[in-house]
Amino acid sequence: MAGKSGREISAVPEGGLKEKLLTWEGALILIFVAVNILGVIISPVYNATNVLREMPKYLAEAFMVFGMGYILVLGDIDISVGSIVCLSATMACFAGNAGLPFGVVVLVCVLTGLCCGMFNGLIATKFTELPTMIVTLGTQIVFRGIAEVSLGSGGSISMQNTEGLSLIAKKIGPFPISFFVLLIFAIVFITLLSKTTFGRKLYAIGSNQTAAKYAGINVQGSRFFCFSLLGFLSGVSALFLLSTLYGANTTTGNGFEMEVIAMCVFGGIATTGGKGNLIGGFIAAFIIFCLKIALGQRNINTQLILVIIGLMLIVSVVIPGLGSYFGAKKKSTTK
Amino acid sequence: MAEDIILELKGITKIFPGVKALNNVQFQLRRGEVHALMGENGAGKSTFIKVITGVHSAEEGHMYLNGQEVFFKGPLDAQEAGIAAVYQHPTSYPELSVTENIFMGHETVKGGIIQWREMNAKAQELLDSLDADFKATDEVGALSVAQQQMMEIAKALSTNAQIFILDEPTAALTANESEKLYGIVDKLREDGKSVIFISHRFEDMYRLASRVTVFRDSQYIGTYDVDGISNADLIKAMVGREITDMYPKQEIKLGEEMLRVEGMSRVGYFKDVSFDVKAGEIVGLTGLVGAGRTETIESVCGITKPDSGKVYLQGKPITIKNPSDAMEAGIILLPEDRQRQGLILSWGLGRNVTLPIQDVLANKGFNDEKKERELSKKHLEDVDTKAVTIFQPASSLSGGNQQKVVVAKALAQSHMKVVIMDEPTKGIDVGAKKEIYEIMGDLAKKGYGIIMISSEMPEIIGMCDRIFVMCNGRVSGCLDRSEVTQEKILELSMEQSGTKKGGAA
Repeated sequence: MAGKSGREISAVPEGGLKEKLLTWEGALILIFVAVNILGVIISPVYNATNVLREMPKYLAEAFMVFGMGYILVLGDIDISVGSIVCLSATMACFAGNAGLPFGVVVLVCVLTGLCCGMFNGLIATKFTELPTMIVTLGTQIVFRGIAEVSLGSGGSISMQNTEGLSLIAKKIGPFPISFFVLLIFAIVFITLLSKTTFGRKLYAIGSNQTAAKYAGINVQGSRFFCFSLLGFLSGVSALFLLSTLYGANTTTGNGFEMEVIAMCVFGGIATTGGKGNLIGGFIAAFIIFCLKIALGQRNINTQLILVIIGLMLIVSVVIPGLGSYFGAKKKSTTK
Repeated sequence: MAEDIILELKGITKIFPGVKALNNVQFQLRRGEVHALMGENGAGKSTFIKVITGVHSAEEGHMYLNGQEVFFKGPLDAQEAGIAAVYQHPTSYPELSVTENIFMGHETVKGGIIQWREMNAKAQELLDSLDADFKATDEVGALSVAQQQMMEIAKALSTNAQIFILDEPTAALTANESEKLYGIVDKLREDGKSVIFISHRFEDMYRLASRVTVFRDSQYIGTYDVDGISNADLIKAMVGREITDMYPKQEIKLGEEMLRVEGMSRVGYFKDVSFDVKAGEIVGLTGLVGAGRTETIESVCGITKPDSGKVYLQGKPITIKNPSDAMEAGIILLPEDRQRQGLILSWGLGRNVTLPIQDVLANKGFNDEKKERELSKKHLEDVDTKAVTIFQPASSLSGGNQQKVVVAKALAQSHMKVVIMDEPTKGIDVGAKKEIYEIMGDLAKKGYGIIMISSEMPEIIGMCDRIFVMCNGRVSGCLDRSEVTQEKILELSMEQSGTKKGGAA
């Protein structure tokens, strides 16, 4: 073999502790702390007990961050998750009110989500020339439409037997059960994306789908899996949402897709694919929850909260963008 | 003699952070001259062209146009001064017509209304003057690369350019198309225009240029009369060392049959293609661009699905449904378009190398980063990649070195049996080319079967034991090393009157 020049190529990983803290995840932790300090300053009732009491309402949404993170890393997008939550919650209520045992209700809820996700995945992988934004825009309308048709003229349904739901709404110490489930999911999905060959393949597909295919990666299979996973997680979200709402109506889950995408993007995951990680998305979710709780306690109206979150999102996207803008200027093309 | 110099650059230095891309280089272009600019990848040719066209501004140096010192703030200034650049991959608007592309930005307008009829007529006139075989009203996306280049030249003519810069114009062209381009360049010269062109092909230079300027390692090496310099001296100027024996073909005893493809067809692309390769053999697959070579190989490797055909590996029939099937069987493809198909440019070199084998290296699905680092370092060093660390992005390397990363990625797959290289030396310099040939030879010696797809006849003739020529989606003939000549390959590449037209359809 060649290699006659004997040139050595370094294989020593760069970066120490300092570089690790200077990442976007490091910044997010600081922002998280800042938001909590802000909360204490602006609201006299912002304290651990109150935050934990209000948390379950928001935690349900966070489950979707993992699936959405995978989808975004692939370079795809799914804007149907809000509708999936609505449909799953509706179906679960029907199942519960039909007198089925709670175990079956849980299954119905989660499987409805999974089926919706698989349907998204099927269309996205069979008709690869369609942008997934359009595919899931279509299914967004279809899934919510099915829910609305099922709900009929009343437009809402309540779970009559709340025994099972109150079981998962329980707390262990000061923390709601959903918090622990979320933590376990977080560990599993963050590890899966950052440490396994499966995760590396998602990054490869998101960075260069053609090269990934030539490297023997099952591109369409991976995409199908991720859409299905996100559908499943939407079902899980619906379940925990039910445990705080005890019912569903035609507006359940409205706008969830944008909030979840916002959490991912705020967490540093690029919508163009191949960049970012779930740790950021996970922290970002909690930043947004705490901000919502603090501002809500001050009776600041919801619209204004949305304005603030929207601005934060833009800033978060612009700042790393600025870095690469100046970086590119400095380097220019070192060809 | 001073007045016949149309363009002169002196003492140009261009610094990018950490690198001197150009170090005090000079260049002189005479009026009505075709001047070749040659050098290895990364020698600074492209940067130099970008300085002339105003894309980059140099830190130091002077540029004189017709004896007057000029300063270009941007590409527009250069365009207005009569300098036009035509790139290897034309940057056009594929959805628009040829006329629209030619007049983009300088449309003929009367009273605020675009004069389509006048522009179409003018565009057609320009195309006719170039002997173009397409119409001004054609959609650009439907044109071949050669036709698009011709359109770019027409565009340059429409702006009244005096200096034409052609950046690797023949790299994507077939022999026929290149010949046509030569004709156009001759015509430009006869009309008194001046042409600078960059190319890695010596035949381009001999055919067209009267003088050649060589850059090496960001520095000016010299300007020579093409008639007055030997091939060997020119290579020495470019590479900085003597290259003897460009094609290090070794005599290797051929072993058993490794791969045999029988009667493979895919409607619209290729029909009834059969070929085979033995252990230790280098088989060439050539023909004109569009003859169906790449398409055939992509079907063999499971990237596209053939309609019919059988593949035998070491005598046993195998089914390949997707690229990973091919890899598991030991058929490794080095794709033609390394930037799009071969590499993830934003990733580090190491991760690129281990991408296809990460499952093999992994421990229960978890990436073994340490093993990956060691293995990729070894393979990158084996092929002599010019890189500092395995973590630098693939986009930071020159074309030749990117190709070496693609080679390292293939070699890392330890169980390979057949290596298929699609245009392995496209767009890379003489020095790197020879290294690729050496690697190819070493692989053959180790008993792998090698298939090389190439349009470059010298390397096909220099390296291959047997050569399959494709024409119009079919194998039109197989030539043995002992009998092969350029003429015979050309003859088989061209459509014969006896061959049914559209055999691939």
